[in-house]
Amino acid sequence: MKFAVQVGARFSLNADLTVNRAGRYFLLNKALLEVARKNFYYAGTYLGKVKNGKFFPSFNLLAMLAEGEANKIVVENKAAWLFICGRDVFGKGIVAVHGSRRKRDHTLVLNEFGECLGFGRIVGSLGEAAKKGEVAVKNISDIGDFLRREI
Amino acid sequence: MKGFYWRLVIVRLMSGKEFFVDRYERLGWKLKDVKPRQAIRLNITNIEGKSLEERLEAIGVEVEKVPFLETGYWVLGSKVSVGATAEYLLGLYSVQEAAAQIPATLFTDLKGKTVLDACAAPGGKTVQLADLMGNTGVVVALDVRKRRLAALANHLERCHVSNAVVYELDARQVSRLKLKFDRVLLDAPCSGNFAADRNWFKRRTLKDVERNARLQREILAEAAACLSDDGELVYSTCSLEPEENEVNMDWAVKHLDLRIEEVDCYGDKGLTEVFGSRLDASVEWCRRIWPGETQGFFACKLKKRESKL
Ligand SMILES: C[S@@+](CC[C@H](N)C(=O)[O-])C[C@H]1O[C@@H](n2cnc3c(N)ncnc32)[C@H](O)[C@@H]1O
Repeated sequence: MKFAVQVGARFSLNADLTVNRAGRYFLLNKALLEVARKNFYYAGTYLGKVKNGKFFPSFNLLAMLAEGEANKIVVENKAAWLFICGRDVFGKGIVAVHGSRRKRDHTLVLNEFGECLGFGRIVGSLGEAAKKGEVAVKNISDIGDFLRREI
Repeated sequence: MKGFYWRLVIVRLMSGKEFFVDRYERLGWKLKDVKPRQAIRLNITNIEGKSLEERLEAIGVEVEKVPFLETGYWVLGSKVSVGATAEYLLGLYSVQEAAAQIPATLFTDLKGKTVLDACAAPGGKTVQLADLMGNTGVVVALDVRKRRLAALANHLERCHVSNAVVYELDARQVSRLKLKFDRVLLDAPCSGNFAADRNWFKRRTLKDVERNARLQREILAEAAACLSDDGELVYSTCSLEPEENEVNMDWAVKHLDLRIEEVDCYGDKGLTEVFGSRLDASVEWCRRIWPGETQGFFACKLKKRESKL
């Protein structure tokens, strides 16, 4: 799981339970594997899709990664809301940092309840110096996407 | 040409607001101005009720428990759209009309079962079933419309459902899956009702109603054939028209190996006399909901006839 490595997570999936359906990846459990036919439209936990050779993780996968060790930032309420609206995270909105602080690394973005809102790329300082109001994490994907998909 | 003209006249006569309102009066209900209240349903697998109430209150959404639902809340007022909050996007709740929350709750013991959601998109009830099952067992969800399947998939992902498998498949062909189901939800494609569609009276004719009733019977027959011997089938529609509801349930007990089970839920008794025809007495055990606080709705629970459970 190259993507898991990108966000600093130690994570592996059981290959026997992972199904690739036309570039979309699903994690099934044993009960589902027994009943699922090859031509399903959706099954189990959606993990993400590969498009033009690039992997786009699902929000379910991000939530699974967020449960363990990974690069994560926790953001306060207002920053969380702006992030869901597709905006980047400013340094002053970050309340905690776990894992990498290195620029260009990917990090998961969590709200104060510990729920994963998406992920982004570290572009600025996450530390004390970040308080000046510069963008710290560039938004790559956020759960507001559920609404954007429906338009 | 003459035949065509008369057919047109007949269709005209069997449509329009007056025609349908007169039918409702003959069934014992007088049309009134109704405004169904907005409702949400808590996803108990993802959050506890108390915590959700507190979180919603903090963002300016005031809710109150729906007295006849375990996990349903009326939205009393909201500073934000309840379909666009972080809590919604995290799958902590779904926006689901109150009456539409009833059918999935009529099943006994869903955990670990193999469940069919025969007409599933956009997935309000699939997610509710998965939630009641605590993501155990399997929900097989079908629909025939690709676009609606995409909405269903989004709904499943948003609410972190992990026990569903979805097929683009006509429910009249469900036996192709070669599965027996412990529970079947048939939330049938129907004519809808005026409380949920402002142009309903302009759009609908009795011919539509009869066409839908036929399709519903076809799906019902196939669903019944895939029901395990001690299984439970819940049939529901959001139609007010008896042809799609009580008359179809009367047909089911007379033509399929099914009997109606009494249920204890919100709503009136099913009609046993429809426009001069007497239906099987057990049809009374169905639930009919005329529009008011909720939209119009109908639900009925069926079991295999020889089942002793
Ligand atoms: C009342 S809606 C279902 C709503 C859904 N149960 C929910 O709670 O979100 C009926 C659905 O039946 C689908 N449908 C129509 N004909 C069908 C058929 N022959 N087999 C399966 N689904 C069908 C429609 O596309 C529509 O999505």
